[in-house]
Amino acid sequence: MALLLFLLAWEGASRLGCISPLIAPPPTHIAAVLFELVASAQAWAHFWTTVFEALGGLVTGVIVGSLLGLAAALLKPVADLLEPAMALLNAVPRIILAPLFVIWFGIGIASKIALSFLLVAVVIFFAVYSGIREVDPRLIDRVLTLGGDRMDILREVYLPSLAPWLLGGLKVATGFAFTGAVVGEFVASSRGLGYLLSFAQSTYNASLTIALIVLVVAVVLGIFSGFERMERRIFRWKPVPRQKKAAGLRDLLARRRRHPATSEWGHRRADMRARAK
Amino acid sequence: MSALEIRNLTVSYGDSPVLEDLTLEVPEGSFVSLVGPSGCGKSTLLRTIAGLLTPVNGEIYVFGRPVDGPSPEIGFLFQEDALLPWRTVGENVALGLRFRGVPWAQAAQMVEEWLQRVGLHASRSSYPHELSGGMKKRASLAQVLAAHPRILLMDEPFASLDAIVRNILEADFLDLVREENLTALLVTHDLEEAIALSERVALMSAGPRARIRQVYDVPFPYPRDLIRVRSDPAFGRLLQQIWSDLEEEVLRMGWEVVRH
Repeated sequence: MALLLFLLAWEGASRLGCISPLIAPPPTHIAAVLFELVASAQAWAHFWTTVFEALGGLVTGVIVGSLLGLAAALLKPVADLLEPAMALLNAVPRIILAPLFVIWFGIGIASKIALSFLLVAVVIFFAVYSGIREVDPRLIDRVLTLGGDRMDILREVYLPSLAPWLLGGLKVATGFAFTGAVVGEFVASSRGLGYLLSFAQSTYNASLTIALIVLVVAVVLGIFSGFERMERRIFRWKPVPRQKKAAGLRDLLARRRRHPATSEWGHRRADMRARAK
Repeated sequence: MSALEIRNLTVSYGDSPVLEDLTLEVPEGSFVSLVGPSGCGKSTLLRTIAGLLTPVNGEIYVFGRPVDGPSPEIGFLFQEDALLPWRTVGENVALGLRFRGVPWAQAAQMVEEWLQRVGLHASRSSYPHELSGGMKKRASLAQVLAAHPRILLMDEPFASLDAIVRNILEADFLDLVREENLTALLVTHDLEEAIALSERVALMSAGPRARIRQVYDVPFPYPRDLIRVRSDPAFGRLLQQIWSDLEEEVLRMGWEVVRH
């Protein structure tokens, strides 16, 4: 609603000449450009290049990041070795390595995947590493006294406790994966949305620039909603409903009135499930 | 034969011995309570018996065999509810059976039986957070007993419950322990609970370097009415005697303990 009003105001202001179309062209114009983009085969090739780079970085980063995180959390020497390096990588803006990667891996997709991979792997490393260290030791005792072995502990305690951290990390990582891909293309490339963006920028084409930004945001949001659906399925056991739908102030107040005690959470959850059936 | 025999046990955290030269015998089928000043190492003793801690010195024998790690003959009921939050009640109860490789169909049947016995069959597909404190305790007990231990270790299992739920659960737990012919060792800080439930009460001395100070026989036969037994004059006498010994231990420890 607010967004619609904002767009209408923007449209009006732009049409009436209050804002220069060079800076902010009317939304209808951007929509037209976006539509053109979607309709052209060439744009799709750029689009898929970027998606491929981002997903490549995301998948490899998640795999390597989780394995390293797991190793560091379970084996002390690995932690001693990795933690300072990872902390350093976490502290510096990793994007600064983009030009270096172009020198190392060329202007093709390899340098973009590498950048995206690095951005993702560090985030996932810390998600897994801290996730495992936050595991409730009482649950491990529980599994041990019930006759479980190391594999049982991994399967019944570590992985489920890790899931919320990992999914949280994944959402951040998705954004990072696209940052890596697009910025990588920005620095040096011949293909991809980042290339189109830098082209649009160099020709002062605000419509195209905004259209491309909208496109990237839409893709990332699409992947986000996928994760959120996954989250809801995996976290059926959680006491508090996980969806972070921004509840309005009025909703919150109404809810507070209906369920004054926090102990009502469980019942409400059961209600919701019953209604969903 | 003793179900549990502890000989000259010393357990340390780092350099400081928590238990030193502790000896205790629990006959098969008996119900023994362990009381003592807070921080004296009662939980440490239970965890060592369960094979979660390795003693520095001394031996623990379970039905004549030395303990070296968690054993299927020992069930451990923890103070907190240690149900896996991501597993339903039924799945939690099945856990021990699954770890021991019991065939699926048989495990399902045993889970069903245990849920009936603790009165939770209607909640088998609920998650732990949906249960009340008392129900969680029942689920934990079913989880431990379904794995078919011969000795049941309990670390203040009733501490977090209100008085009413607590009385009901104590009676139900005692019935199950008797029915299953389990040997039970209960750690508690509640002397009345210790006397009401068990046939022997073992008092530990103040830590560090705690040991068993004295073992008291409780003169009431099973089955017992846990409420009526409390109004017996012998109950009051025993309570007073253990309490004055316990008080002596607490005071011997000085203000160190009272401060935390």
